[in-house]
Amino acid sequence: MKSKLLNDISELLENNIISQEVATNITAYYKSKEDSQPNRLFTVFGVLGATLVGLGIILILAHNWDNLSRLIKTVLAFIPLVIAQLVSGYSIYKEKSQVWKESSGTFLFFAIGASIALVSQIYNIPGDLGSFLFTWIVLALPLIYLLNSKAVSILIVVFASYYACELGYDFGYQNKTPWLYLVFVIATLPFYLKLLKTSPLANSTSIFNWLYTISFTVVLGAFISSNWPVGFLMYAMLFGVFYNLGKLPIYKNQQLRRNSFTVVGSLGAVVLLIILSFNIVWDEILVLASIAMYTQEMLLATVLFVLAFMILLYTKKKEKVESFNLFQYVFLIVAIIFFIGIANAIAATVLTNILLLVIGLSAIKIGADTFRFSVLNYGLLIVTSVIVCRFFDIDIGFEVKGLLFVAVGFGFFLTNYIMLKRKKELNR
Amino acid sequence: MKTIHIFILFLVMVLVQLFVPAKMIFDRENVLEAGVTYKFKTQPVDPNDPFRGKYITLNYEMDSAKTNDTTWEQGETILVYLEKDGLGFARVHSVSKEQKSTDRDYVKATVSWNYGNSNTVNFELPFDRFYMEESKAKPAEDIYRKYNRQGNNKSETYALVAVKNGKAVLKDVYINDKPITYYIERDNE
Repeated sequence: MKSKLLNDISELLENNIISQEVATNITAYYKSKEDSQPNRLFTVFGVLGATLVGLGIILILAHNWDNLSRLIKTVLAFIPLVIAQLVSGYSIYKEKSQVWKESSGTFLFFAIGASIALVSQIYNIPGDLGSFLFTWIVLALPLIYLLNSKAVSILIVVFASYYACELGYDFGYQNKTPWLYLVFVIATLPFYLKLLKTSPLANSTSIFNWLYTISFTVVLGAFISSNWPVGFLMYAMLFGVFYNLGKLPIYKNQQLRRNSFTVVGSLGAVVLLIILSFNIVWDEILVLASIAMYTQEMLLATVLFVLAFMILLYTKKKEKVESFNLFQYVFLIVAIIFFIGIANAIAATVLTNILLLVIGLSAIKIGADTFRFSVLNYGLLIVTSVIVCRFFDIDIGFEVKGLLFVAVGFGFFLTNYIMLKRKKELNR
Repeated sequence: MKTIHIFILFLVMVLVQLFVPAKMIFDRENVLEAGVTYKFKTQPVDPNDPFRGKYITLNYEMDSAKTNDTTWEQGETILVYLEKDGLGFARVHSVSKEQKSTDRDYVKATVSWNYGNSNTVNFELPFDRFYMEESKAKPAEDIYRKYNRQGNNKSETYALVAVKNGKAVLKDVYINDKPITYYIERDNE
């Protein structure tokens, strides 16, 4: 146990702040917590080890040992697989600890890859990387639930994203849409939901939060085929889903470093709006976007819109105290602006700039009201970036630009200073 | 769920995991043993796969066929019926969308392009990857270039492919009458 804590307890005890009983309870609590600690460390190292060994085997086999006979190579293809299956089976049958299950599951995951890789190599089986990853993921997916394994679940999401990128970001003539990515991810969701239910505050759960947000953000672009201007709308709706998810009771009061949905939803929307604040982007959208419902881009944007809207309604219904947060409605406003942009690029540009400014100001207000410097400066940053970006399109003299920069910098300093002062006064 | 149930499900999964690679092997072994071997003229280039290692991509000379059908769509499966020319090289006999009632061998290919009114359909043969030992894939491409630069018309590069019931397994890549690895090993000495 941490000696600092022990010292503190004895100090509190000496000064009669806490009773002997409380002191024993605290000591016992931390002791029990500590007991599970080396276990967790073991798991991490077990999974890391299994990953390295598994990848190592794949690399060794990828060398292609062409002086070995076909029979020997075929046998070699099965050895790692069978060993991994035996170890995993043993840890299920003997009800071994989670360390066993996580490590053996990870190893089995890579052994499956090694096995089908070697077989494809021996028989020159055609098929690109996408189809190979597909087989691999399908064969490994049940491991998540059978071994109750977080590591395998993470690997499946990572490899499903890899698969989606491989298929969707291939700008050759065979640009396919990775619909099966959705199936894979949905198949992992029950496991994630269970984690949310049993241990919403665990570090591992927050890893999953980030994993899903990053995966969706990266992969969504793979679903854009030819109607790319609608991609802006798709991303705006996705960030709307994220932000509103982040406001759900289960995530809402978590620290920002755990709540990836709020962070990515908010940052993503702001970055997207900054891109859309340039008139040239809207000019392109005006010419090239097709809002026909049968295009997959419009379909996905609509699905994401409905999803975001439903989550918004749900959070509003659950809210005890009525509160208004502009960020939650940004996706709605962007959707309206987008449809204006189809008809009139200038109007859409102006509206986007106004929206960005209002968002920035509302963040400044939230920051000032709650005394959170991070939110305050985030708002200032948004406003500043609108001003800086407009320097590129609007033709004004250098001296005016220079003066504006000085003014913005001074604004940063002043707002922070004023708030610091107010906070000090309040503390007094 | 009880452990024993999980374990039974696990065993089912183990069987599937073993079955898939085993089936991949049995299918190919069957074609290799019982199939008819064809020679497809080709030219190799060398790329890389992160999990399966180095390979050479084979671009086949036989990539189009005459057809009166103009409804071919890109990405569609096309059955290419084969015949052998006097030197044993594969040649298109005919193409079809559905299986024909004939003993003639065929391979499944993918339509890559159809010019509509030109009466020609272009396709890609599926067996376009030949995995090689990592130090040999690049030399394979170079050796192919070398043998075709000499202006020696007798030099032919071709893939040896076993075909049975529409399934095809790429056996080896040859230059003239020797496997391509033979030239690499000879040049290394």
